[in-house]
Amino acid sequence: MPEQLWITRLLNHALAGPVDALLRTFHVSPQHPKAPISNAAAMQLLVFVFLVIVFAIVRSRLSVENPGPLQHIVEGVHGFINSQSEEIIGHHSSEFTPYLAALGYYILVSNLIGLIPGFESPTGASPSVPLGCAILSFFYYHAQGFKHSGVGYMKHFAGPMPVLAPLMVPIEMISHLARVLSLTIRLYANMFAGDMVTLVFFSLVPLGIPILFLTLHIGVSFLQTYIFVLLVTVYLQGAVATEH
Amino acid sequence: MRTLSYMFMALAAMCFAVPAFAQGGATEPTNWVAITSGFAMAIASAVCGLAQAKATAAAAEGLARNPAARPGIQLALILGLALIESLALYTLVIIFAKVK
Repeated sequence: MPEQLWITRLLNHALAGPVDALLRTFHVSPQHPKAPISNAAAMQLLVFVFLVIVFAIVRSRLSVENPGPLQHIVEGVHGFINSQSEEIIGHHSSEFTPYLAALGYYILVSNLIGLIPGFESPTGASPSVPLGCAILSFFYYHAQGFKHSGVGYMKHFAGPMPVLAPLMVPIEMISHLARVLSLTIRLYANMFAGDMVTLVFFSLVPLGIPILFLTLHIGVSFLQTYIFVLLVTVYLQGAVATEH
Repeated sequence: MRTLSYMFMALAAMCFAVPAFAQGGATEPTNWVAITSGFAMAIASAVCGLAQAKATAAAAEGLARNPAARPGIQLALILGLALIESLALYTLVIIFAKVK
């Protein structure tokens, strides 16, 4: 039985049966039938529920004349992502803001929730969580490319001259797949290394010094979220922007 | 030129330690993966530090020459630093994947 957080234990106690049945319909046999929900999955569910509750509160308290502090924060984030994608992508960039903002909120809360004792950051617990975000963003920007240029989007892979196409297409395909890999590894390694370094210093000096590394981890969480969203914006620009 | 010749002399002197391989075999084989990964991580972090220093220096100088371009310079700096950092982190991931 793997080591479980209290949330994971709660969810497994309540839902182990139905989740096992669900996994069996997909011909997946869980490694520990009494604990099919892993720590990362349980924490992701918690992050999702938390974000939905926060968004519901903000929506119910929206007001034009008398905005509260939460509305200020959410409007600030929205404006920041809007202005940044405007600067990078150009026209019609506000249609990408919902996806980028949702991605940003999700990754930020996932990163920060690891600081609370009793919880574990899903992005640092298993490489599959950042991989999920990266694969989703990969499909998103390719889908946007196809939506904006139709089938002509494939010409992006051919390079500057059609005679170079047989050389450029494999190189472009590999570089696009390498983007998924680099987004995943960057986020996972930053979060995992932050935990590791805190543990190493905790084993050396149990009092006081690990707090510095937790503070550094807060800064790194924000920075890595910003970098993830920024890189997805840049990839969107490569897929969508055309010279008008 | 002198420093180079001194360095080669020091390296040649270190070859005198080769007979250490002849001592009786250890009961368990040395874990070369752990030793190499320590050196690999050190090299990766050192080169990453050099590259980030160059990037920060260029950004600071650009900002000093043209403070009005702060948003663009800040964006380029943060993006560059994160991308360089991620290269050192790839080495760390290999270490965690391969070292038992």
